Order: sequence, then C-alpha cells, then structure tokens
Amino acid sequence: MAASPIAVAPPDSTEATFALLRELRRGRARKQAANFVYWLYVTGIVVLCYGGWLVAAIVRALRHPPAPTAQAPMLLRAAPAGLSVLALLLVLSLLWDARWRGPVTLARPTADWLLDTPVRRDRLLRPRYRMSVLTWMLAGAAFGLVPTALLLAAGLGGGGIGHTLRLAGALMLSTALLGGLGTGFAALTQAGSGSARLVRLGPAVALAAVVLAVVAILAAAAGLTAVVGTVVLWSGPWGWAAQGPVALAGGSASLWPLAYVLLALAAIGAIVAGDRAAARVPAAVLRARARTLGEMSAALVNLDARRVTTAYRTATGSYLRARFRIRPPRRRQLALPWRDLTALIRVPSRLAWSVLLSLAAVGLGVLAVRTPHAALLPITGALVFGYLAAAGLCEGARLDGDDPRRSGQLPFSYDSLVLWHAIVPCAVLAVVAGIPAAALAVLTGNARLIALVAVTIVVLVAGALVNTFRGQLEAEMFAGFDTAVGHSSSVTITLWYVTGPLLAVAPMIALCYAAISAHTARRTVVAVVLAAVLATWLVSIARSRARRLKST
Amino acid sequence: MASSRPLLVLNGVSRSYGPLQALKPVDLAVRAGQCTALLGVNGSGKSTLLRIASGRDTPTTGQVWYGGTALREDDLNARTEIAVAGDPSSTYPDLTVREHLLLVAVAHGAGAGADELVDFALAECRLTDHGPALPSALSSGQQQALQLAAVLVRPRRLLILDEPEQRLDPGARRWLADLLAREKSRGAALLIATHHVELAEAVADDAIVLLDGEVVGRGTPEEALGSLR
Repeated sequence: MAASPIAVAPPDSTEATFALLRELRRGRARKQAANFVYWLYVTGIVVLCYGGWLVAAIVRALRHPPAPTAQAPMLLRAAPAGLSVLALLLVLSLLWDARWRGPVTLARPTADWLLDTPVRRDRLLRPRYRMSVLTWMLAGAAFGLVPTALLLAAGLGGGGIGHTLRLAGALMLSTALLGGLGTGFAALTQAGSGSARLVRLGPAVALAAVVLAVVAILAAAAGLTAVVGTVVLWSGPWGWAAQGPVALAGGSASLWPLAYVLLALAAIGAIVAGDRAAARVPAAVLRARARTLGEMSAALVNLDARRVTTAYRTATGSYLRARFRIRPPRRRQLALPWRDLTALIRVPSRLAWSVLLSLAAVGLGVLAVRTPHAALLPITGALVFGYLAAAGLCEGARLDGDDPRRSGQLPFSYDSLVLWHAIVPCAVLAVVAGIPAAALAVLTGNARLIALVAVTIVVLVAGALVNTFRGQLEAEMFAGFDTAVGHSSSVTITLWYVTGPLLAVAPMIALCYAAISAHTARRTVVAVVLAAVLATWLVSIARSRARRLKST
Repeated sequence: MASSRPLLVLNGVSRSYGPLQALKPVDLAVRAGQCTALLGVNGSGKSTLLRIASGRDTPTTGQVWYGGTALREDDLNARTEIAVAGDPSSTYPDLTVREHLLLVAVAHGAGAGADELVDFALAECRLTDHGPALPSALSSGQQQALQLAAVLVRPRRLLILDEPEQRLDPGARRWLADLLAREKSRGAALLIATHHVELAEAVADDAIVLLDGEVVGRGTPEEALGSLR
C-alpha cells in the first residue's frame, strides 16, 4: 500500500530568522548609523558651502516677502488648475515608479536568501513599505517648497512671515499627503496586476493632465468662470490638495479645511490598503525588481549612465515586445539605416523627444536670426537642444557601442559603423529641423544660412557619435588629487562625459554667432567651411574611439 | 572533400598579456572541407587561439594567413568569408530573432533571397516559432541556436565556433554534429573549440589538445584525446 503524503504545516521561522539577523547585524547597525550621521554632516557642509547664498536669499525672502507682481492676478487665476496638475503629476510619478521599482522593494541578498524560506512575508515586506510611505511623504513635503517658491516670487506669499509660513505649510501638507496617497496606490498596483492596467490607463490620465494644464493656461490668459475652478478643485484628491494653498494665496476656496479632511482620509485609506497589499506582492516581482535595483546601483557606482538607462528600459518593459516594424530592405547599403530606424521606433518616446528638441532648436535659431545683436543665448540654446536631439537619435549606434560583439556577424569594420550610424540621425534631423529651418531662412531672405544649418546637423551628430563610442568609465579616471573645491577626478569624469557635446557645441556657438551676427556672406562661408572641418575631425575621433573600444 | 592547400594557416602564433603567456607558439593549418577541434580544460588557451584565428586579436608573435594572405580583421574578404558564432548573450535588445537574421543576411548582400535564407535558418535551428520574439524571450539554448542560425544566413568558407555545444540539450547536440558535417561536405573549413568529446570525434578530422596555453597533443581526435588520458 502506497503511503499517503502527510501534510506538514510549514514551520514559522520568522522570529528565529529575524533574531539571528539582528544578532549578525548588531555591529553593522552601529556602523550604518555612524555612516548616516557622517553623510548628514557632509550634506550640511556641501549645502552651506555651495548653497549658502541660496539659503540666505530664501531666509531674506521669508522675512520680507516680495509685493505682488503684475503677473500675480494671472497666476492666481491659474492656481486651481495649475496646482491640480502638479498634484496629479506627483501621484502619477509614484504610480509610474511602481511599474518598475515600487514602494515594496528588497535588497538583492534578501530577495535571494529569504523569499524561499517560511519567513512571514508581511513581517518582511511591511517595514519596507512603511519606510517608503515615510520617505515619500517627506519627499512630497520637500517638493511642496517648489510651488511655494513660485507663489512667493509672484508676491502671493502675503504680508508677513507668519502668512508665508502658513502658505508653505499648506503646500507641504498637501504634497506630503499626496505622497502617502500615491505610495498606497503604488503598493496596490505592485501587489496586483495593476501595472498592466496602469499602462492602459496611462494615455487617459495623461489626457486629464493635459486638459487641466489647458484649463490653467486659459484661466491665466483670459480668466474662466468660477464654476470651472470649483469643478477642478472638487474633482478629486489633486483638487483637494490645491484648495488650501489657493485659499492662502488669496484665491477662492472657502471650504479648504473640508478638502484637507477629504485628502487626509483618502491618503490614510490608501496607506492602510497599501499596507495590507504590501504582504501580497509576488516573489517574482520582488526578485525582478531587486535584480534591477542591483544592476542600477552597480551602474551608478561606476557612473555608467547608459547601463542605468538600459536597466530601466528593461524593467519598464521597453524591450519586452517588438511593437512596431519596418519592412527590412533588400539592398545591403540600407541594412544599417533600417536597423537604426527600427531602434528608434521600438522606443518611440526617444524619437518624440528628439523631434520636440529639434523643433525647439529651430525656434531658438529663428529667434537668433531675428535678433542678431542678442543672438548668443538663443544660438547656445538651439545648439544644446540640437545636440540632445542628435544624441537621442543615435540609439542604433549606442547599441553597438554598448557591446562591440553585437555587430560581429556584419560585413562592416567596427569603426566604419560610425559612418553608417550617422545616416539616420542626419536624415531625421534634416527632415524635422533642417527643412523647416531652410524654409524659414529662404522666407526671411537668409538663404545662405541653409548651408550652415546642414553642416551644423552633421557636426552635432558627429559629436553625439563621439560620445556614443566612448566605452565604459575606466578605473584610472577616479585617480587624481584633492583640491580646495573637491577631488580632481570629478573634473576628469565630467570632461569624459561631455567630450562629444563640448567638442561639437562650443565651437559651433562661436561659428554660428559669427555668421549670424555679422550678416555677411563671407562670414557664413568661413563658418560653413570651418564647421565642415570640425565635422570631419569629430568623425575621426569617433572612429578612433571605436577602434580602441573594439581592441579592449 | 578536403583540398590540399590550407585555407587558414597559423605560424608560431603566441599571445601574452603582460607577464602572462596565455598561448605558447602554435602552428595550425585548416583546409576546406576539413574540421579541426581544439580540446582542453577551461583556461587552456582555446578561445585565445580562436580569437587570433578569426583576426579578432593580434598575436604577440607569429603570423596568421587566410587564403594565402596575411589575415586582418578589417579585410572585406575575411569579414565576408570567416563566420564566427557570437556570444549568445550578445544580441540587440530591440530586434526580433527574425530581424537579427535579416540584418545579417541583407548586410551580406542576400538581397531578395534574404527571407528565404532566414526561413531556412530558422527551421534548421528550430527557431521558426520564435521568429517574432525578442532574444530576451529565448532560453539560453535557443540563444545559442540563434548565433548558429546567424552563421547560416551569411556567406562562409571558414567557420570558427567557440564551444557551440554549450547550453544545447543532447538532441540539439546531435543536430549540431549533423549540421557541422553538412558544412564540411559543402566545402567549408571548420575550427571549433569544444569540451564535448563526442562532437569532436563525430566531426573533427584532427584535433589539438591545449594545456596552460601549450599544445600537449595532436592528431586524429582519438590520438589527441589519448594524450589527455
């Protein structure tokens, strides 16, 4: 007769395990406390040394709040919807955070060693959740200082320090409660399959934020009937959070204490529900997030921004499915351009940002041409935006720069990939920024600037490629010497990060400024020729970096 | 099928990293239609020798000849004819399995025949159902198969494979041996490093045994393995 399996209740090892961990970590806890105090001291010194002037300015502003400015009435009209948008974005950012990290996180060793044991999950996870609630409420309170500063600067802080502090307190209370509310919802999202639902709800919530922003702009520009403001302020927790600050800034929200009660009840409800949900977060989710955070921490310690981004994209599911496709080409010459276009459409947000930045660059370029006597600032802005757009479009190159083995099967030498990967960014920038800029140049009688725009695009892409093939931060860069303002390695590392933009943007500012401010054909020709030389030099640097990367 | 003139020749090739000599001078010749297996424990110098043979590393001493001329990795002929199976962990995160293969096929000039070639490679490597998937969704064995499929969609006179049997189940290992035998019979030269003795015995015409970067045995796989025992 076969023996029937005997059900054995799993032993509750929670107390024994935690007691052992406490015993093992006794020395470590003291060390951590000492570390915390040390970092508090360092932060205080840094704030005093580098931000002392800012602290002094804030104290002065608090003691003598500025009088209402001409924009104050406009700002006050926009405040209900504007503050509601900020509140909505704060909660949304916490929910977004729950998509890949979340309030309930474990360190990797804890995830690897304790999740498989009979240790009670609630005892393991709830303390983490509660710490997150506390952290985000404090961070939320700190975030409240941002709109406070804005309202104070507009002269809406009242006549004395007492009123100013009440306004600051109201805003900090609102944002702290929103922090608690968002963390509670985030835990609920993390525990269920809420992440997927959140992704589907994303566009609708984003639309709501856009609608509120439009309402704020309309209210500021033309003023809206009081009913609209009332509807916004009672439309949900975001509106409740805005009522106290609106009332204290001189706006109309007479029932703001009731709004605070509602907000506090919602926040407490969400925090309590989140506390219950925290114990139900699946082990697979905890393990995946612990792995992501481990990878990100390692990348951060190495100051490897690219690996941080890659870990984030992997965690948020950017590389989970191939959503959009482009039909592969049949011509060999189009293989890499096709590959680069595919890289762009697989993460459409990157393309969208690049397009927006390009258009901003065009706008600033137009401003520079229209005000040649004060063109330096708009030119600088245009080139910085243009560089960022070019860098965003070099994703295909970046994927090859991350790992030279990936292109091993391709019949192209590794350093020649620099040229192949320049095609798509140049083409996209030419379409998005070049054509509008050229049309405007022709319309305003500055047709000779077309050549300058074209060569600037090439320079910016070449600069982005210089950075793309820089490889990983090397340990020797951390070596250096102490100076009165810090360690010299910080300068070395910063220069290593900004070589591409520095070599591309700085000379182009001088060349574009010379061409635009002088308004002569000769200066333009000289600028175009020098920019072409610069582009060639940058490409040779990028190729040499690629060769070095391949050989290591 | 083996021709008399070697396709790949290594003359007195060695590799040092500072004071460490990873590979002591080695002579080697691989002919078309012939397979040479490199055997040895981990760290014995097999992968170093393969990197040098593929032109991806420069020897400290000695010379590598491919098709009668000194081998340079950036030489177009070498890039087109020498197929090196890549590291399974090294794929583009945003391209599907099928797109990886199409990229390689199109870049090597397959033109209108690219789709057909890719279909064949996917079927051959049992990846047909995984064509639309991203590499991150594949098992480690399937990722290894993807690297082998990439070799099949491109021109190849010399195949250099570093432990191609890794992560493959026993059935897939038998398929791999068949595949390599077919590559040999169509005239390709093969240089493989392997820990899988059965694979070496089934496919290789001769074998070299390395230990601490030094050749300690060579001959037919049986003879070479005898030096290990």
